[in-house]
Amino acid sequence: MNNLDFGAVLRGQYLEWLLSGAAVALALFALALLCGFALAIVLMGLRSLPGRVWEGVVAAYVAYHRNVPTLVQLFVWYFGAPQLLPKAVGGWINDHNGEFLFALVALSLNAAAYLAEDLRSGVRSIARGQNEAARALGLSYTQTMLHVVLPQAVRVAVPALINQSLILFKTTSLAMAIGVAEMTYASRQIENETYRTFETFTIATIFYIAVSFCIMLTGYWYNRRQPAR
Amino acid sequence: MTTCFKPLQRLSVVALCLFAAHGAAHADRLSDAKARGTLLCATLTANEPLGFPDPATRQIVGFDVDMCEALSKQMGLKLEHKGLSVEARVPELALGRVDVVSAAFGYTKERAEQVDFTASHYQVPIKLVVPIASGLNNINDLQDKKISAIKGSTLELFSRRALPNATVLTFQDGPAAFLALSQDKVQAMAQTMTGGIRYVNETGGKYKFADGALAWEPTALGVKKGEPTLLAAVNEALSKMEAAGTIDAIWNKWYGPQTKYNIVREKKLTPIETFK
Repeated sequence: MNNLDFGAVLRGQYLEWLLSGAAVALALFALALLCGFALAIVLMGLRSLPGRVWEGVVAAYVAYHRNVPTLVQLFVWYFGAPQLLPKAVGGWINDHNGEFLFALVALSLNAAAYLAEDLRSGVRSIARGQNEAARALGLSYTQTMLHVVLPQAVRVAVPALINQSLILFKTTSLAMAIGVAEMTYASRQIENETYRTFETFTIATIFYIAVSFCIMLTGYWYNRRQPAR
Repeated sequence: MTTCFKPLQRLSVVALCLFAAHGAAHADRLSDAKARGTLLCATLTANEPLGFPDPATRQIVGFDVDMCEALSKQMGLKLEHKGLSVEARVPELALGRVDVVSAAFGYTKERAEQVDFTASHYQVPIKLVVPIASGLNNINDLQDKKISAIKGSTLELFSRRALPNATVLTFQDGPAAFLALSQDKVQAMAQTMTGGIRYVNETGGKYKFADGALAWEPTALGVKKGEPTLLAAVNEALSKMEAAGTIDAIWNKWYGPQTKYNIVREKKLTPIETFK
């Protein structure tokens, strides 16, 4: 019982749980990052619309997601939102892996708030004159953003975006609180059955470090190929 | 003056323990108890109906206290009641501060490495709480359904073992597991019968226990490890109490039909070896 034995954890049912836990964690991270990034760009766009109303809406959105603990946001979506949804919709979600869907919604919205702030800081680093020059050349607002401002802004923002991705990846472990069988959930489940605490959490640690390291390397590689100008 | 000697006394106790650990001759706990004329029997003190203060007398009463009382009487000793907390049960026994622990002490292999268990005097069925409207009546109706349980509990373990094709969703505590049930995120919640009864009684007839049990959790008395004479004496006393109907009578007083729990004691005294 006291001797280290990774074989006792890396076999049969336990190995299956670990593998599916890893898959769920990666899927949740990738989808939340994708949805979060798309939403962040939308938030950016809303913020630069004329008039103060949209700016206020986006600021309120960012404030909520930055100031309320992520765990609470997960609970609000998982336990709170279904009470507001029509019964048929709630039932459909419950039948289609509601735990994962609500975790994805909560984490995407949360990540979007942070990513939008990082992108905004990138955009603010681009001299206003470029915007004016592009408009003077006849580009529309969307074209200016897509072809002139955003490519440079993203480059500037990449280190911050990578940082945010790392945090998002580790935050997927909070989804265990609403029953999403990701890596931490699987580890705890195996620990509960085998009492091999050290082995199971060592495996989980290696998984998180390995993936985080890949995310960091991606950022490093991108920065070397596309340095901020 | 006496305070000056305390550290010395403590040291001698430690030395004695070390000595004892080497298997040197020492009086066993049963002879000690007989010489003293009392049995040190410990129960919980804030856990209805196992051990809790009676508002009228301010005495600790309950199922476990009555078990201690009856056991002492059967062994021809006087009861010296001790109170303890859930997490102190194993340490108090291991340190030898009490003779017997009667405190909702569920048998597990891990605990059995630290202390000895007597025969199991009752077993709590692990049940599934289901909405009455769902039409799910038997635990076998939930083979491929979702079940909520408390993280890290034996409930989680037994649900997965009894229904391998069901999905077991775990939550931090009982209320969260019940919330998931009430929002139809799961079709059933795993609970011990004693723990789940409030969700059935206090929800206005919307929930019930599905027929059948996922498992029976054996509960026993605990004694210090390496005290074979005491263990044998307690086991013998328990058998006599079972034969005389004493355990049934105590059970019915606290859990029987005229109580709010209304749980039948289905499993009688069972040797602990059965569960190993």
